[in-house]
Amino acid sequence: MNVILAIKQYISKMIEEAGPGMKVLLMDKETTSIVSMVYAQSEILQKEVYLFERIDSSGREAMKHLKCICFLRPIRENVELLAQELRMPKYGLYYIYFSSVISKQEVKVLAEADDQEVVREVQEFYGDYVAVNPHLFTLNIIGCGPGLGWKTDLLTRTVQGLTSVLLSLKKCPMIRYQNSSEMARRLAENVRQMINKEAALFEFRKTDVAPVLLVLDRRADAVTPLLNQWTYQAMVHELLGIHNNRINLSNVPGISKDLQEVVLSAEHDEFYANNLYMNFGEIGTNIKELMDEFQKKSKGQAKVESIADMKAFVENYPQFRKMSGTVAKHVTVVGELSRLVAKLSLLEVSETEQELVCQGDHSACLQKIRSLIGNEKVQHTDVLRLVMLYALRYESHSNNDVSGLVEALRKRGVSDKHRSMVHAVLEYGGKKTRGTDLFRDGDPVAITKRFLKGLKGVENVYTQHQPLLNTVLDQLLKGKLKESAYPYLGTSQLRDRPQDIVVFMIGGTTYEESFAVHHINRSNPGVRVVLGGTTVHNFKSFLEEISQPVHGQTPSHMTTRTVHW
Amino acid sequence: MAGVAEIREGFLCPICMKDLGTVSQLQDHFEEEHSSEDKDVLQQLRGLFDKAKKRILGDKEGGDSTDAGETRKGDNSKPSGGIPGFDPSVWEPQDDGVTRSHTDMFRSIRDERIDRYVVETNKLLIRLDKLVVNDGVFDHKKRKAYEKSVVNWIPDNQVPKCPTCGRSFTLTKRRHHCRLCGGIMCDRCSQFLTNSYARKLTDPAFQFEGENGFLKRSDSNSSLNSIASPEGEVHVRTCQECRKLLERRDQLVEQRNTKPTIVLLYEKMRSCISDCDVILEQYIPMVESLSIGESSYSFQDAQRYRLKLVKLYEAVDQLSKRIMVLGFEDDKTPAAKQIILQKAIRSYASTFMQENMMGLQALPTIEQYTNLQEKRKIEIQQRIAYERQVTIEAQEREKRIEESHHKDVPIKSSNTSPTKAVVDRERSDSQKVSGWKPQVEPKFVNSSSDPMIQQINIIQGYIKQAKQVQKWDEVEMLEQNLKELQKEYMNQQRQNWS
Ligand SMILES: [Zn+2]
Ligand SMILES: [Zn+2]
Ligand SMILES: [Zn+2]
Repeated sequence: MNVILAIKQYISKMIEEAGPGMKVLLMDKETTSIVSMVYAQSEILQKEVYLFERIDSSGREAMKHLKCICFLRPIRENVELLAQELRMPKYGLYYIYFSSVISKQEVKVLAEADDQEVVREVQEFYGDYVAVNPHLFTLNIIGCGPGLGWKTDLLTRTVQGLTSVLLSLKKCPMIRYQNSSEMARRLAENVRQMINKEAALFEFRKTDVAPVLLVLDRRADAVTPLLNQWTYQAMVHELLGIHNNRINLSNVPGISKDLQEVVLSAEHDEFYANNLYMNFGEIGTNIKELMDEFQKKSKGQAKVESIADMKAFVENYPQFRKMSGTVAKHVTVVGELSRLVAKLSLLEVSETEQELVCQGDHSACLQKIRSLIGNEKVQHTDVLRLVMLYALRYESHSNNDVSGLVEALRKRGVSDKHRSMVHAVLEYGGKKTRGTDLFRDGDPVAITKRFLKGLKGVENVYTQHQPLLNTVLDQLLKGKLKESAYPYLGTSQLRDRPQDIVVFMIGGTTYEESFAVHHINRSNPGVRVVLGGTTVHNFKSFLEEISQPVHGQTPSHMTTRTVHW
Repeated sequence: MAGVAEIREGFLCPICMKDLGTVSQLQDHFEEEHSSEDKDVLQQLRGLFDKAKKRILGDKEGGDSTDAGETRKGDNSKPSGGIPGFDPSVWEPQDDGVTRSHTDMFRSIRDERIDRYVVETNKLLIRLDKLVVNDGVFDHKKRKAYEKSVVNWIPDNQVPKCPTCGRSFTLTKRRHHCRLCGGIMCDRCSQFLTNSYARKLTDPAFQFEGENGFLKRSDSNSSLNSIASPEGEVHVRTCQECRKLLERRDQLVEQRNTKPTIVLLYEKMRSCISDCDVILEQYIPMVESLSIGESSYSFQDAQRYRLKLVKLYEAVDQLSKRIMVLGFEDDKTPAAKQIILQKAIRSYASTFMQENMMGLQALPTIEQYTNLQEKRKIEIQQRIAYERQVTIEAQEREKRIEESHHKDVPIKSSNTSPTKAVVDRERSDSQKVSGWKPQVEPKFVNSSSDPMIQQINIIQGYIKQAKQVQKWDEVEMLEQNLKELQKEYMNQQRQNWS
């Protein structure tokens, strides 16, 4: 159940089927993201794929000596563009792969366009999602629909994405969904329909214990995406933003040209892979070690006098190059994170956030928020987070002072649009929509557990919070997840404790949750959990997500960024 | 303060829910009551003081976050060390995902259409051949009759409008017939196939030198009749449909039969690379074996292989460089994508070379190799002697144990099962104590009267032969045999000595 590997295997199979010779990979906007997340360009180059093209780009030249591998989503535009391409083929041979189910009618359209007999393969390879980490995938959709319902095209896209995850991992699951969410129920039902309709595809060797697909709704936990983060990957996304593994550093003061955009890919960067889930403090230490190691090596490189030196140089060459790049990159990224943490008083902000959601005495919290609103170092978005968290946390507290805080925001100069988010988040994930008990006040067991957990993993005050997902999965694994709150679709039920689990979060998941899932996978041998979401949020994108239901007219849009290879 | 109260609440025993005042009390309670129940929780509680202190002192003052790394540096317990990045070994192996093929369906739809084209095109080619072969045989009138015999011309009255452009035929706008299908079109829609192109289409051996197979119209108003005159190139009038079919076929043939320079160079480069791969697979075990002084491979073979590899690398380098600069001659530059392609191929080649250069480094010089062989000989003898020593010691120990059984003295467990560390210590001890040195010049080095040695020599000869004819699987099998033989020989020697 490794989604990165699943996509990689699909892609290398495509390349294999095309056989030896010069090749071009023809993709659309979305499949470009899908491929670029799992393969580095240099890696795919070694498989004789020399060109990467977009099917919708007009400037492509005819190169008949290339074999063309097409990896496309089966949407109408793509089928039309491809039919056009086949009528006047630019490349010698075509190997066509669609990322999801394509209709017979569309196959016919293509077949009728292939007068030149250039097509060798037409297949479905179910890589219709963006794999972020081995246990994490996204569909890059922000804003699932107006109000509490699905936008039809986004529901279709999500069903395609989710079923392709199941097919790529060869899982035919029992489906459970969050009862409080109409969207979760609809998605679950649509996935079930798809499985029934394409029953032939889902006929593979069944495992002893049936896999489980659990469909959740972000609304049950609007808190998690509001929090500042302190593990590397989550923190980078929160403070700098990760889009298709890319980070824009052009705003960093004094940044050198080649570092304005850097790629952070756990698949190709060992340091990043080892530090994804490390605490900010630990990364500092690790960076230092990395630099020491590099300096040791680069000193050795400095004098290349004897042949033995040369040998050593050549032998170290690939690693050497890799390392110097890695060092510069991570030093820059961590340096920038440090700068922001200090400049924006993020430690103070985060401490208050954690107190708000984890223990928090109302008046003390209120006082702290007020004082942070008065602190000039703290940026608008961070005080906004706090007020939003406060609004959720003390929604029904008798001395609730949301309006006072919003007024304080106004005085501070926080924009109307941003202030409206306080109500938007209540609308989105307040008690009314949430249904579950997100804050378990005064439950001594929970507090003790939390306390112990705090000691176990990252023993610091900034990372006390545990996302609701953690509890849900914990209960699911123990076979204690309440059926009333998370019913099965259909009549059959799982008797054993589940082993293979795909969790999908409508409205987007977070890296904090990804970390929690990673932790569950590591600490429960035999259990394999894959987490997915319509997107992976940070605070900024989450604001976009929740502003949808309020301003229903805002068009939803995909955030797949163009990837320059 | 509420905060304090809650923290005190936090010192509940997580198992029996008993409320304990302080951390140390909780720890004591836990060890007394539940130490056997939950080792993990117990472990967390250990060192609780340290962690709690660090929580309060260490992190809170980390306001200057650049120092955060320093503050933690002394912490050797690596608290979250249990959660580094993904460990792929946990989840692998993994089947390939599901796939579904539409290729058969696609083909059946396409081929039905294509078959029609092929049949049509073949008909056209047969007719074209007839027209071209008998070109110039007849005068104008007879020619027309001949053309009509090749294909039936559609009667004029059946076609009131040009089917291509839709204009009505009049006295001035006359009907024309396609000589290949017999269809009707107007003059403007007529296409003119040159005779030499026609011959190219019908005769694969014909050398076609023109650029276009069909005549170009310079002006849509000018009639092409002038070109039809005998002084111009002879041509065949066709309709647009027939032209399309013929050109389609021509392109297919063309593509099948011609390879642009880049493809030729590329294929050569690729074949060099796969030769490298084959040789490397042979060469690397050779180098590894030779550099520890083994004699399963011939040193000269290795040198030869190395030379071959160097030549192939040079070829790959040269070819990929030529590919990179293709099309840059005479102030011309290739199209943008072509440049990207050529650069990518070069980068592919240089990555290949970088990754495989390593193998070329390690071959020792002949002097080094001789030294290595000597060293290995000594090592082997030492090992044999050592093993002998160990056996003797073990036997002695057994004896002692037997004796001790009689005396009913308990035996130390470490003696009965020596761990590796113990063995190592014993080795160095025994060597020091006995001060052992090779007493005899090893017999097996030069003696060839031994049937074992003879066999070894024979097999080495076989290996050489098999290598010459490049039967690599045989080489591998023989080498396996050789190794076994050598091992057997060594055992024999050891027995002789003891
Ligand atoms: Zn107890
Ligand atoms: Zn016409
Ligand atoms: Zn015709």
